[in-house]
Amino acid sequence: MIRICLALVAFALLARLPVGFDVGFQFDAALAVIWGFGLLSLVLLTGYVGQVSLCQATFAGVGAYAAGMMFSTFHVDYGVAIAVGVLAAFTLGLVVGLPALRLYGITLAIVTLGIALVFDRYVFQDHIFEWFTGGSGGWRVEGATLFGLRMDSSRHLLAAYLVLLVLFCLVGLLMVNLHESGAGRRFRAIRDSELAAATVGVNLTRYKLLAFGLSAAIAGLGGSFYPLVAGSVSPQPFWVFTSLQFAAIVVLMGVRYVPAAALGGAFMSFVPDVLTRFGHGTLFNRYSYDISYDWFQIAVGVLLIVQLILLPDGVWGDLRGRVVNARSAMRGFASRRVKVA
Amino acid sequence: MTMLRVRDVSVRFGGIVALDGVSLDLNRGEILGLIGPNGAGKTTLFNCISGVITPERGSIFFDRRSLKFAPPHERARMGIARTFQNLQLWGSMTVQENLTVPMDALGGRNTFSDALHLPFSAYAERASSERARAILHALDLGRHAGTLAADLPAGVQRRVEIARALAMKPSLLLLDEPAAGLDGPETSHLGELLRAVRERFHVSMLLVDHDMSLVMRVCDYVYVLDFGKVLAKGRPAAIRDDPKVIAAYLGEESKEQPAKPQATRTIAARDEHPLLEVKNLAAGYGRLEVIRDVNLFVRPGEVVACIGANGAGKTTTLRAISGMIRPRQGRVTFGGQDITASSPERISRLGLAHIPEGRGLFPRLSVEDTLRLVSNTTGRQADIAEAYQHFPKLRERRRQAVGTLSGGEQQMVALARAILARPRLVMVDEMSQGLAPTVVHQLFEILRVFRDQGIAVLLVEQFVEAALDVADRAYVFGHGAIGHQGSAAEIRADRKLVSGSYLGTAVDAVGAPAANGNGHRIDHALMEVVSVKVPANLKRALEERAETEGRSAGAVVMDLLEEVKR
Amino acid sequence: MAAFTAYTIIGLSLGAVFSLAALGIVLIYRTTGVLNFAHGAMGMFSTFVAWQIFYGWSHPGWPGWLQVAVAVVAAIVFAALLGLFLELAVFRWVRTRPPVVKAVITIGVLLALQSAASLIWKNNAYHLPIYIAPQGWSWTVADVPISANAVLIVVVSLGLALGLAAFLRYTSFGRSMRAVSDSPTSASLWGVPVGKVGAVSWMLGSVIAAVAGILITPFINFDTTSLTLLIIDALAAALIGGMTSLPLTVVGGFALGLLETYPTIWIQSIGFPRLVALVVILAVLIVRNPRGLRVAA
Repeated sequence: MIRICLALVAFALLARLPVGFDVGFQFDAALAVIWGFGLLSLVLLTGYVGQVSLCQATFAGVGAYAAGMMFSTFHVDYGVAIAVGVLAAFTLGLVVGLPALRLYGITLAIVTLGIALVFDRYVFQDHIFEWFTGGSGGWRVEGATLFGLRMDSSRHLLAAYLVLLVLFCLVGLLMVNLHESGAGRRFRAIRDSELAAATVGVNLTRYKLLAFGLSAAIAGLGGSFYPLVAGSVSPQPFWVFTSLQFAAIVVLMGVRYVPAAALGGAFMSFVPDVLTRFGHGTLFNRYSYDISYDWFQIAVGVLLIVQLILLPDGVWGDLRGRVVNARSAMRGFASRRVKVA
Repeated sequence: MTMLRVRDVSVRFGGIVALDGVSLDLNRGEILGLIGPNGAGKTTLFNCISGVITPERGSIFFDRRSLKFAPPHERARMGIARTFQNLQLWGSMTVQENLTVPMDALGGRNTFSDALHLPFSAYAERASSERARAILHALDLGRHAGTLAADLPAGVQRRVEIARALAMKPSLLLLDEPAAGLDGPETSHLGELLRAVRERFHVSMLLVDHDMSLVMRVCDYVYVLDFGKVLAKGRPAAIRDDPKVIAAYLGEESKEQPAKPQATRTIAARDEHPLLEVKNLAAGYGRLEVIRDVNLFVRPGEVVACIGANGAGKTTTLRAISGMIRPRQGRVTFGGQDITASSPERISRLGLAHIPEGRGLFPRLSVEDTLRLVSNTTGRQADIAEAYQHFPKLRERRRQAVGTLSGGEQQMVALARAILARPRLVMVDEMSQGLAPTVVHQLFEILRVFRDQGIAVLLVEQFVEAALDVADRAYVFGHGAIGHQGSAAEIRADRKLVSGSYLGTAVDAVGAPAANGNGHRIDHALMEVVSVKVPANLKRALEERAETEGRSAGAVVMDLLEEVKR
Repeated sequence: MAAFTAYTIIGLSLGAVFSLAALGIVLIYRTTGVLNFAHGAMGMFSTFVAWQIFYGWSHPGWPGWLQVAVAVVAAIVFAALLGLFLELAVFRWVRTRPPVVKAVITIGVLLALQSAASLIWKNNAYHLPIYIAPQGWSWTVADVPISANAVLIVVVSLGLALGLAAFLRYTSFGRSMRAVSDSPTSASLWGVPVGKVGAVSWMLGSVIAAVAGILITPFINFDTTSLTLLIIDALAAALIGGMTSLPLTVVGGFALGLLETYPTIWIQSIGFPRLVALVVILAVLIVRNPRGLRVAA
């Protein structure tokens, strides 16, 4: 019950937020939620179940392309397109989950990185897959309707943002419920000691595949909104570096916590934009500076390194730790070493 | 119908035979013990039964069903539960949650209904929680129900693991070194707990452990493994007195008389300041505290032996001294310098060499390369020729990779390095492990070379006879602390002390009641079925007798069969 | 037939670079337990340093070979310093952490290096390759033009691999490195300076990656991202060697290079070779580890 109230409050606050923004920031807001879904998928897969994955942006991309394809080729209501996108991502997630049944930690990371690269460079760009990707230009999405309402990219960004926010809060709520539930415990058992989980009767195959599928579906849900919000799809937003950034930022914020995903999404979307828009000028009337997107990524990399050395539980995780467990936080971070995977 | 039948199981790891045609029977209602020296294959056999390893040959049957292709979660469904030596609890969950996971897993819960909090899930949650609390209460863990598993001390964690296993409603419970890290009193509590668990939860058990007091006290029947084969089997008291078993643990009785002029040497050494001094040392792994309060010292040029059962803390002590693990408390001084928290590299350069269990060698380096590595410790080029003088066999094999050498030859390489490094003290851990007696004999000769060169030796050894032969003094370890100490001659004379430290004493065995409780109470859940064919007139006679005595025929049969035990 | 030989040569050149990169990865992994996802990025950055010096800062009066030599030497020095920096500033503090955490840290390094390079040298812009041997030089053998640069790559790679092997085999420090890679705990008991060995591994690995990067510029799209992403091919080669055997790694690298090049005879696609690499990775991992469950409790 408390959770539902909290979710409603959060929703109310966040929904009101972008009303005064200009189009650019409204787009950022919608994008923040889309990336938030990507991070949420990692909270489930890595935070709850302990499986490493470096191809979450690929799942989002598959969702995006599937939705774009459905809309552009079959002119369906965008709701249908989203459903197809989620399904496509879920299926790919199951497929990726198969090697994951036998691989752990580093080797799983290598394989998912390979998958991300293959999709980025080959599937999303090669002309063999044009039926799926819409060629080098990608799909253009204009004049879409979502359950009857008109959602025409830049003119209806706020509406799209609201829909995304509702879905995000819903999925977040479900995830927190899952965490506390029996299934969540089985997931966490796999994370904490797979050997013990198997010995106790947990069917590893079933739960790991489910974890991958659900996680991919969540990422795909966010991804399928991308064409609606941006007006078109291209490989760039879903390339390897986005997957790597997902991993970096979710660990930075706290890979086990749903709010960390929201925080991370906002971070990924707003900070680079703010930096590029306002990050230039002259310092002391002599040195001109121009902060570009690259600075953002450098910061992410460095922050990740520093955070893993000092604060293994992430920014949100650490804050939460302080509030919930004042006493043990005093004892020092070293005693609360939380493993990423 | 025997509950668990293991037939002719063999396992190889690369070139090493871990198990060689092992057969074992476990009957319903028994607590079966599996013991043996280090490396005998106990853990391997245990892992075969619990499904972690697949044997190359042989079969395992549980309740007449083959376990051949059953993955671990299948075995769980069949009713086999296990605990882990190094505690595999789910640290981020509370104790109660740890218990409900098996109940849910075996009770067919559904992920979606869980996520959406559907009524079915809510109901099942309540039921699980109540059952979990009941089990916790039975094991006196009720007050820990809401604590995170990671925050509990090791002794409590052990009980939680047992509770979690019981939550699976198993018929067979496999216990992997449950006494590891527990001290004396805790171990006897554990023994009582296991017996209480059997009565209350109707579970049969297979227990692997080094702690003889536990095994002798709790088990109804014991199998002894050595070198991958079954060496002996029988009731605990019989095993304890079996000369074969004693030999396997303690080594052969030394034939030669120790006619050494030890007296003179010890007198001279007695006045010298100790080279190595260990005070109040405590250390362990993760949550387990293996040694609690170890105090020992070694004088220059002395040979000191550490004996005692496995798990008593001998190896952990050596590791804490040489820096392999960090001591939690206490002080270690070497040659006047405090080396308590130093790195192994620094300690070895100060002149303290450690040949760990497993020899600490590099499988892919050649013998010669390995010996040349000594220059790291001594700071200059090593004189390899000297090593070949002591060990001519190594000269032939000098270009061979160490990993391909036999166990005895590997041990020679380790000892050769120790000689070349010219340390002031060398610590040798289980030099004889896995080696044939003749080879062991040769190696012990080498230890005398150390002594002749004035190098002190701290020796951890399971072959007590040979160790006490060559040592000046000895410490007897037990439950993470030093139990007895004295000169080698004294300790050696006290045979009861020595064998007792390994195989338990008569006192331990006395407390063990007959199997299946006091014999008056018959628990059907803990009985095996035996069918016999009898001629008709015998059957009639039985029934008549039963009627006369006013009991059931079954009770009469039970009484008659009890005769077999005597 | 001539086309086939030409493709073979390209495949071998590519494979030579994979081998070099893979050698560095295996070396660092065995001695420090860190799987360096940033290996390609490190090589890329050093290569760009060389590029900068060659095209940007070289003295115009110098003869061609001197310009190249200065650029290469500068890049090597930079690479060594970069490796040393990473060990001292980052990885020395996380030695006891599980391997996954250390690998995630290298992802942070990758991101930082990647964007730093993009900042300085602009992403996705075309850069002129560095020709060690002058561009025009080539021989014709049986109707097939073989460029000097291609030969150079193979020769240098094999030479470096052999040199590394000799160093490990015959020098005292090399022995220490082999000891640490076999068993770090035993090595420290023997007084081997594990920290120093780790630092040298990082430096060596970084230098080898730099050389690999410089050599390959004539053969690929020379921009900041493609060199970084060669990591996946290097990892595939390292996996073929089982993360252990250096000779197998070298063989694996060359084999992978050929496997990636031959299909381009029929399939014109930039991305297809990546698929080959992925398939190889999966195949190797599944073959080497048929049983799933971890035995070590």
